[in-house]
Amino acid sequence: MSNPYLPKIASIQKVKPETYDTTTFTLQLDDPTERKAFQYRPGQFVELSVFGAGEAPFCISSSGHGRDTFDLSVRKVGRVTDALHEMGEGGQVGVRGPLGNSFPFEEVEGKHILFVGGGIGLFPLRPQIQDVYRERDRFASITVLYGARTAEDLVYRDELEEWQQQEGMTCLLTVDVGAEGWTGNVGVVGTLLQKVEIDVPNAVAFVCGPPIMIRFVVQDLSGMGFGEEAIVTTLERHMRCGIGKCNHCMIGDKWVCKDGPVFTYRQMKAMTEFEE
Amino acid sequence: MAEIATVCPYCGCGCGLYLHVRDGVVVGASPSRSHPVAEGRLCLKGWHAHEVVDNPGRLTRPLVRRGAELVEATWEEARSAVVAGLGKTLETDGPQAIGVLGSARCTNEDNYALVRFARGTLQTPNIDCSLRIQCVPDAPQPGEAWRAGVSTGQIAELDDADLVLLVGSDPTEEHPAVGARIYQGRQRGLRVVALSTRKHPLARLADLHLPVRPGGELRLIASLLHVVLAEQGMAGEGRPGAEDLRASVADMSPEVTAADTGVSADLVRQAAGLYLSSERAVIVYSAGLALSPQSGAAVQALHSLAVLGSGGSRRQVPVLSLLCRNNLQGCRDMGVAPDVLPGYASLGDDAAVQRFEQAWQCELARGVGLSAWEMPGQVRAMYVMGDDITRSIPDPEATLSALEALDFLVVQDIFMSPAASVAHVVLPAASFAEQDGTWTNLERRVQRTRRAVSPPGEAREDWRIIADVSRAMGKPFPYEGPQQIFEEISDLLPIYAGVFYPPLAVNGGIRWATPEARDAGGQAEVMPVPPPAEALEAAASGLRASDQYPLLLAADPTLRPWDGEVMVSQTLTVAGEFTVLTKDYPDGMLCLNPEDAKRFQVRGGRPVRVVSPKGECQMQVRVTDEAPPGVALVPHHQATRLGIMEISTDQAGGRPVLAPTPISVGPAE
Amino acid sequence: MTARMLPHERIDEFVARLMQSAEVVAPRRVEVADVFYGPVSSPGEVAWDYGTAIEPLKRFLLPQRETMLRFSTDGGLKVEAECDERERVFLGVRCCDVTGLGVMDAMYGGDIPDPYYMSRRERSTVIALTCLEAPEETCFCVCCDAGPFLTEGYDQQWTSLPEGMLVEIGSERGEALARANEDLLAPAELDQIAARYRLAREAEKTFGDFKSYIAGAMAKLSMNEVDPEVWEQAAMRCTECGGCTYLCPTCSCFTVTDRMNGSEGVRERHWDACLNNCYAREASGHNPRPERSDRLRARFFHKISHQWAERNGRQACVGCGRCVVGCMAWAHMPAVTEGIRRGVMT
Repeated sequence: MSNPYLPKIASIQKVKPETYDTTTFTLQLDDPTERKAFQYRPGQFVELSVFGAGEAPFCISSSGHGRDTFDLSVRKVGRVTDALHEMGEGGQVGVRGPLGNSFPFEEVEGKHILFVGGGIGLFPLRPQIQDVYRERDRFASITVLYGARTAEDLVYRDELEEWQQQEGMTCLLTVDVGAEGWTGNVGVVGTLLQKVEIDVPNAVAFVCGPPIMIRFVVQDLSGMGFGEEAIVTTLERHMRCGIGKCNHCMIGDKWVCKDGPVFTYRQMKAMTEFEE
Repeated sequence: MAEIATVCPYCGCGCGLYLHVRDGVVVGASPSRSHPVAEGRLCLKGWHAHEVVDNPGRLTRPLVRRGAELVEATWEEARSAVVAGLGKTLETDGPQAIGVLGSARCTNEDNYALVRFARGTLQTPNIDCSLRIQCVPDAPQPGEAWRAGVSTGQIAELDDADLVLLVGSDPTEEHPAVGARIYQGRQRGLRVVALSTRKHPLARLADLHLPVRPGGELRLIASLLHVVLAEQGMAGEGRPGAEDLRASVADMSPEVTAADTGVSADLVRQAAGLYLSSERAVIVYSAGLALSPQSGAAVQALHSLAVLGSGGSRRQVPVLSLLCRNNLQGCRDMGVAPDVLPGYASLGDDAAVQRFEQAWQCELARGVGLSAWEMPGQVRAMYVMGDDITRSIPDPEATLSALEALDFLVVQDIFMSPAASVAHVVLPAASFAEQDGTWTNLERRVQRTRRAVSPPGEAREDWRIIADVSRAMGKPFPYEGPQQIFEEISDLLPIYAGVFYPPLAVNGGIRWATPEARDAGGQAEVMPVPPPAEALEAAASGLRASDQYPLLLAADPTLRPWDGEVMVSQTLTVAGEFTVLTKDYPDGMLCLNPEDAKRFQVRGGRPVRVVSPKGECQMQVRVTDEAPPGVALVPHHQATRLGIMEISTDQAGGRPVLAPTPISVGPAE
Repeated sequence: MTARMLPHERIDEFVARLMQSAEVVAPRRVEVADVFYGPVSSPGEVAWDYGTAIEPLKRFLLPQRETMLRFSTDGGLKVEAECDERERVFLGVRCCDVTGLGVMDAMYGGDIPDPYYMSRRERSTVIALTCLEAPEETCFCVCCDAGPFLTEGYDQQWTSLPEGMLVEIGSERGEALARANEDLLAPAELDQIAARYRLAREAEKTFGDFKSYIAGAMAKLSMNEVDPEVWEQAAMRCTECGGCTYLCPTCSCFTVTDRMNGSEGVRERHWDACLNNCYAREASGHNPRPERSDRLRARFFHKISHQWAERNGRQACVGCGRCVVGCMAWAHMPAVTEGIRRGVMT
């Protein structure tokens, strides 16, 4: 019987600070065979072990296309993330995964693709944005709306700049609280929705961010006419085992780790515990 | 896998639990169904008691201070350091300059050995346990072998009770085994009268809730006595002391006290009526009654109410004094107190002193010593056995600095406590699962704890460590094991006479009784103690809210009492549950009624600035109707370090009390 | 597969043979009056006349605390998984507990089997012992289709008849065990099998007051039609002791933690309870179920909703009554299901 709790050993290839409390770690599995077998899709996550500190779930924040490494963007909030931030390049960690389901891709071919991210909610969206953009011919349009509390909290700043300049993609930014030096939009990310033209009946929205932001954006999108199937999000829960055994991430009759973490708004509404 | 029957190491209920042992490791815990207190139940702490045992945070080697560092040492080195350190203080400042603290976590045998070590070996009368500061006050009881603060009844009496008078206690948080009995009882018609500032779950479900203003407890109980004695005419039954009692509360009609207690006369009369008409009432109180400087008197008044009796036969009502720690009762019984000898023998009782001197083959330090709260500033050296002094004494920072300033400090414990971190010598002790011995629960039930596994590393039983130090100081103890110590206890303490060591392992042990009660074949006679006029007076003139300070802040010992406790916070699963407070309310959980939150425009979870006449601090707000309007509540163990509360002295017993303090609340900067 | 008779005087010999090749876990008395399932060292230790054990079999398949991995960080990270390959016979197990195993199997098996649970489970033989009368006043298996006699889920099911144990066979494994000990067994007579059915009917009548209105509660829970007030009231009674979850034969939540000792460490899992405040709390401090009433609702939904019954093959309450015994207050299964039915908690 294979042991789904046994992590594979990976080494930290690169450490790139994103903001004052977030960092992107590029990891590679040590064993070449395992490395090859490690195929993942946007939306999936891994359970990362820093041995001694423990294990915690992180969404994979890079596209798996054409590389045998993967990125985890991490905010420093607890034991495991603190210990991870202590580690440098070459440090060894444990990885289980990829786990969970993934964002629809083929299913949304030909549609207008709208990404709405808040704060570190851009982490899980990034691989999907990268993949969609790579094959932008297969989609009607690509729009990225991203907001954070302050300019200091914006992640992936280099990439945001690229996205803003790239052909075939619209990328708008906003911050909740403006400050000196910020010339962009000020207001919650929902306010950006009014600034873009969207062919709603043919669009699909990928929404990620803090619970409160998701709630408001989903409200806005519904108001604009987005169907329940056309709003897709990933849920964050306290996923311990990642395989639907420990029950920590259970919502209603679903495990976020195994049945998700990607859910449509329709699926979320059907969960008995979901509060609108 | 073996199941070892032992006792839960947390609150004073003393639930029987089984430790599951496999390959020399404690791998689990579960309740005993046949145990008279547990009856198949455990609270969260009990269910996880095993996690304390081989915890990575355990002390496993003796440590000796070398400059700023505590470094590992052999037992010989550590013992020499202790003998040298204590010896130096003895030589230069005399035995009075040494203070000794015993522990409500340790066994009777450990505490008894420690008292012998203090009064015999070291010749110091300074012996105490700091936990009594935050727990039920143990006011001296004239003419009694024990003190008020001792249960006269037993927990099982709740099973066929028809009324429970729940005073200041929230057993759902503090004493779940008692709470369980009340919940079960409600199903068969047990009526609940709750007398407490906080509207805790059982107060909410109660038939009657008397929401007393903090500090008003004594006068509220006095007005109950007034109704019972003056209006219901119950005094003519020849109870000794009843007349004095009646006189003392003559002016305490509920109409008079309503202004101070915040409880309407009507509610008081209803409560008194329910109490008087009940045939099998039980009175339950806890540290929640320790909110004011008059709480010692309040405890005595409550015991007096019990003595007067209820129901048609005026049967004496059993009282449960819910002690906050597994062996606080035993710790007191063993004489871990500055003003009494083991078994509550008086220091002035020549015959008793002689008994101990003969048994211990040395003279005793007969004086009244310093109390736990006096020691840190007044002695030069201290020996601390498993006592969480920085948690009990108001102003832990000052206490820690005082400990740091000592010439010599020895701490023996199972974890690196704050006191241990500033000690000169730290000695690793065995945990509850690693030694045999006895504990005495809040109903005087003397129970066996059992060694399930060996202590980790070089850790040893507390009594053995003390005996070794004493031997090295030239005063050997003859004990080979806890049984031998217990036999001596049983020989020398009349209250433990007839309690034998071996049978204690089975089914909840034996409850001790005073010889008089044993002779009478039942419940102890307790003399009613009239509340002192000055206490009644003081209770009325306590600090009040004003325009400048519109809220009254009380330190509530019943509110999340286990958060941050040393064993709990080292327990993997439980720590999660019991550190919510520290995580969400790191500066202090200020409970405010929704009305007050609105009035002062503060929101739940947000930090606020709190100002009192004494100082100011920041806390996080929890909006809850558990706090009555006009009153703010904060957990006692957080309140000790706020520095904004008035510290006064309990008129009975002298312990420092965080008195209800008027405050104002405003936005944080 | 046919039923056999095991004469009373040969039971000890049968148990002794079981002990030769496996750890025999059976009800046994501890400290005079308490009964636990535990490894027996002689056939005489088995308490055949017990009521219910304090705990179900869970501890032997999903220990309260178990080591999952060992690792060392010295000179390159090394990680190894633990494995328990002990053969066990669970003997004299009450029907409710056997039924509970079935629910656990669904949870820990499935498309991603849990290797720790399953390696123990696959090496276990389960011999059920039927209840000729309600063993405790708190028992309500009759409301949960989990006793006092079973029709499936066991390897063998034993019923005490005057002549001996009627041994019913429920699986290949049970049959193989009977075959290997055929010299101790006799074929069961028809009237003995008839007696078993008569005893089962009589036993059902002896169950008492602790009825659990599972079906009614299930319907309301599944449709999200429970009055929120019921959860508020239950929350006022629950003290979050975790007892109902730890004692439950089908509660299986765990949490995982690392413990280090120098450069060596272990990853352990411990029982966890979904009623705990911190259970679903995330590292950021966000708690999706901040109120006790939220957590109670989630627990009962997991236990007895149609949605989860579908996933697990049946609803997860087996009526063993342990939550009634172990509840620190009044928020156990029968109390809450009755509260759901009546729309108010007593």
